[in-house]
Amino acid sequence: MSEEMYKKLAQAVIDGEADDAEALARQALDQGLDPLACITNGLTKGIQQVGELFASGEYYLPELIISADTMKVAMDILEPALAGGQEREVVGRVVIGTVEGDLHEIGKTLVGTMLSANGFQVTDIGVDKTAAEFIEAVKENNATIVGASALLTTTMLQQKKIIEALDEAGLKNQVKVMVGGAPVTQSYADQIGADGYAEDAISAVDIAYRLADAPA
Amino acid sequence: MIKLEERKASIKPIKSKLKISILDDQEISQINQNTRTVLEEIGVVFPSDKALKIFAEVGANVDFEKQTVKIAADLLDKYLATSPRNYTMAGARPDLDVHVGDGKGTYFYCSGESPRVVDFSTGERRLSVKEDIANHARIADYLPIISLMWPSASASDKGETSPLHGLEACFTNSEKHVESESVMDEVSARYAVEMAIAVSGSEEKLRERPVLSQLLCCIQPLAQDRGGIEAAMIFAEYGIPVGFMSMPTLGLTAPPYPAGALTIAMAETLSGIMLTQIINPGVGNYISVNPGIVDPRTGAYFMGSAVAQMTNVSGVQMAHSNGIPILACHSFGGSQYELGNWQAGYENLYSHLLGVMAGADMSFGPSGMYEAVSLLDHPRILFDREMLRVIDEITDGVDVNPKTLAFDMIKEMGHKGGYISHRETGKFYRTTWPKESILYDDGKPEGRKWRDPKDVAREAITWILENHKPEPMSESVKQELRQIVDRADKDDSIKREISGHK
Repeated sequence: MSEEMYKKLAQAVIDGEADDAEALARQALDQGLDPLACITNGLTKGIQQVGELFASGEYYLPELIISADTMKVAMDILEPALAGGQEREVVGRVVIGTVEGDLHEIGKTLVGTMLSANGFQVTDIGVDKTAAEFIEAVKENNATIVGASALLTTTMLQQKKIIEALDEAGLKNQVKVMVGGAPVTQSYADQIGADGYAEDAISAVDIAYRLADAPA
Repeated sequence: MIKLEERKASIKPIKSKLKISILDDQEISQINQNTRTVLEEIGVVFPSDKALKIFAEVGANVDFEKQTVKIAADLLDKYLATSPRNYTMAGARPDLDVHVGDGKGTYFYCSGESPRVVDFSTGERRLSVKEDIANHARIADYLPIISLMWPSASASDKGETSPLHGLEACFTNSEKHVESESVMDEVSARYAVEMAIAVSGSEEKLRERPVLSQLLCCIQPLAQDRGGIEAAMIFAEYGIPVGFMSMPTLGLTAPPYPAGALTIAMAETLSGIMLTQIINPGVGNYISVNPGIVDPRTGAYFMGSAVAQMTNVSGVQMAHSNGIPILACHSFGGSQYELGNWQAGYENLYSHLLGVMAGADMSFGPSGMYEAVSLLDHPRILFDREMLRVIDEITDGVDVNPKTLAFDMIKEMGHKGGYISHRETGKFYRTTWPKESILYDDGKPEGRKWRDPKDVAREAITWILENHKPEPMSESVKQELRQIVDRADKDDSIKREISGHK
């Protein structure tokens, strides 16, 4: 019975059927199934397949995002039911946001979605976030990677401030920092001491894998 | 990347929801009147006794010494009336038939007759040979946007019978309708007809579904070619559609004004059409107007100027006002077309966009040519095709209906939120994003990065040449074609015919 439920959960994620995913997650708990197994063998399997479909060109971004949203709906039900000490297996824990003074959302959201679909636990803190807000989120989520996005030449300077703030807070050894955005370049990333730079959402996944010391 | 899969040949016209009219009714009427006055008072030179006699017999004013035919307007209109607005240019299978004037849109040619090619293996420029025609015919057979084809290059290895070898290469490497524009003498025309009968199965079947057509270039100003017009008479006799192309060069072989150049073009083409209708009332015809200009500083010939393109597209209305279909637009590659040359790019794009929007029945399309249609490079056909892909999208216009107005979607998403995550967006991109493009490569993430379309196009052409096998023609028909061309090769009268009217 549990195998059948895992398959259904995976399929709901692949099809991007949020209502189904929500109902199945509740059903799984009602049936007394292990929520961690439902996440690992159901939802994660589904999102991995979505990642493969996207990589092969079969799925486009809308399908990828719809599937990631679907997974989130089911996760919101299953995760709180995890037994104490249980934790789902993730490649890395990412805090991502757009820096202070910058309201551009799309790039950061795409990177976050791509990372989610590739097995990272992503906390998207939104746009116009100060260095302090990044630090707070890192602590709260025990993050291993920070993604800071900036679209303007004026706001890209905030990426440096975030790195300095992490250093001051003694978190520099705990987290790796990825930066991105239209004006950002590899040499700028090197100059401000960032650990990784990606020019688009697809290469961001490769960089995040590298930073998480996981196989790409 | 374009979809590369084993498949049978198919054809696809482009239908435009967007319409343009360049000339108003009064302007069309003035040009038609002017054309008739030119034909009545100045006439057209037909340097063929046979043609002159035919004109004289129906009451045209023929000067045998000057080889000039003057035609009264009512006589012209009497014969134009039998030229059909709708007819078939057949492929090997009925689903490959082009029903000219069927309202389904513009059908595209792979034209050519280029004298030189870029060798696909070595990249060197050399004279074209029969094998190049065969290869390009297979590529054109594979691409649905191409509905009709010419031998795309000259078979320089075959001498005077090169046009017949070109036809053989097309017939045996494609199932699509084949047209010749280089069979330019009566003897060769008879061999070409024999070939068409062999492909069709019988003369009767050929008349019913002609698998061959001819395009004849007129000589500017106001003249026909002897060999060409005599070939046209043979084709018409057997029910093979004959198109007439005028290429007025504004200010050189025609008045510098588009209206005057159109007058010249209509006089030349309509007089030719009249001759074929006298011979075989109801045989298919079309008009093609391909104006050019000269560089006033150097005398260099240009196809791709704005004024020439405008004149060209005006020809659509002129042909239709006379009840005749039209093959519009310059070939891709007609201007100083080099890949990466933005001027050639925009000229090709707007010329074909205007032609489709004007409602041309047929248009020169993806050919793989450049350097003023004198050099064939197989992969370039995919760049031409790319522009038509865009034109196909543009001419679909904008759909306005409850679904596309998307009120419910707007309400659902409210003031924030990304539409990219909406299910409808997913469906939209699935149908709209150009999968069949050399500009956007699919595949693994690293492969989805921008790649030089030249490399992508080369890959696609390599695949087509290695894998696409048109439905095979029966061995007996192949043998018959071979024997006909073989006989033509040994027929000295072709050489005499060709040298006789040079």
